[in-house]
Amino acid sequence: MIKLTINGKLVQADEGDMLLTVIRREGIDVPSQCHHQAVEPSGACRLCMVEITRQEWDGWSKFVTSCLYPVEDGLIVTTHSAKVIQLRKTIIDLYLARHPNSTEIMRLASEYGITRTTYETVVDGDDCIMCGLCTRICAHMGFSAISTVGRGHDKEIAPPLKEAPTDCTGCLSCANNCPTNFIEFTRDSNSLTIWGRTFETLACSQCGKATITREFAEHLSKTRDIPIAYFEVCDDCHRKETAKTMGRVVNWTREVQA
Amino acid sequence: MNFRFVVNPEVCTGCRTCELACAFAHPHDSKPGKSRIYPIDGGFKELWVPVTCLQCDDAACVKSCLVDALKRNPVTGAIELNREMCVMCMACVAACPFGCALLDPGQDAVVKCDLCGGDPVCAHFCPTKALSYVPIKKKDRIAG
Ligand code: SF4
Ligand code: SF4
Ligand code: FES
Repeated sequence: MIKLTINGKLVQADEGDMLLTVIRREGIDVPSQCHHQAVEPSGACRLCMVEITRQEWDGWSKFVTSCLYPVEDGLIVTTHSAKVIQLRKTIIDLYLARHPNSTEIMRLASEYGITRTTYETVVDGDDCIMCGLCTRICAHMGFSAISTVGRGHDKEIAPPLKEAPTDCTGCLSCANNCPTNFIEFTRDSNSLTIWGRTFETLACSQCGKATITREFAEHLSKTRDIPIAYFEVCDDCHRKETAKTMGRVVNWTREVQA
Repeated sequence: MNFRFVVNPEVCTGCRTCELACAFAHPHDSKPGKSRIYPIDGGFKELWVPVTCLQCDDAACVKSCLVDALKRNPVTGAIELNREMCVMCMACVAACPFGCALLDPGQDAVVKCDLCGGDPVCAHFCPTKALSYVPIKKKDRIAG
């Protein structure tokens, strides 16, 4: 058990816990864009910066990305000191210049009282903040269908050779977790298109509702040993079927007892 | 695991009190959440079946989750969904053969029965005791 102080309060944490996790557990709101519990932290967005010090540092302190910093005994953490807020504002200011049309960045900026950037706005700047959360999640799920391509200013997230990715299953986890909602996909009654590839969605054999793509269902069935038939009926119809099956059993016992 | 959630459709009247209790027991933004239990027409006269998660031993939802967001709570026996870990891939929703992993559109999250952390609220409110949470007799207990 590790004991540390966060905003003046003594808190306990487990060895190996990252600061951000403990801060959040305490109900303290520190912004973050590139963090997700499902994957290893990467420290890409810099928004989760906090100020740390120790008794023996004699008033000296430093800034660390809390998502990447493991808890230590005796650490004194401040999440909203004037210096941290100033630093966070500078980072947000830069994001605002680079991604002037991102509603998520605008929301964050307004939360910190920033209405316009003090830097030069990038014309036609897109909403991808290059945090790499999508690629980390995709890799963690075992697909690695997308990655960072290009260099410097031309850096972007894309499938290999920018072609329709063969390893993608259309699970949408990249798009669903993109902090700025940049990853686009389209969906119609029986298909879904993401990263330039179109997938057939698996329609319920009873009502036609689709939950996931056939490719994703087949992948799960194969690698996770789940009968493909499970995926061929949607959750609503599965519940109805369950009621009917149990209903038959109950009715049978009723008749036997009568 | 010393208790077991028991569903007895014979006495269910389809009053949907459990559904309401569940929604109120799982609120978000101080609004009721999506219920994880549904009394559904069993296909015969006056026959209702409260359909909810069976906390399967070899659960399809757990197997389908590629990020290990679904784990069994060793104390309550419930398979719990860790929202912080979930990446919203819908695999479990699609995989459960009883339709008991659900999308809660109101909070844009996947939800399932968690046995309310070991004291299922629905069982308290069921007026006919069609739902109950009962101690497991020693001899029926699985080792441990
Ligand atoms: S939709 Fe494709 S690219 Fe996105 S996380 Fe799933 S497999 Fe990876
Ligand atoms: S929706 Fe969430 S809990 Fe369900 S399989 Fe996907 S990541 Fe796991
Ligand atoms: S959340 Fe820590 S750097 Fe992005």
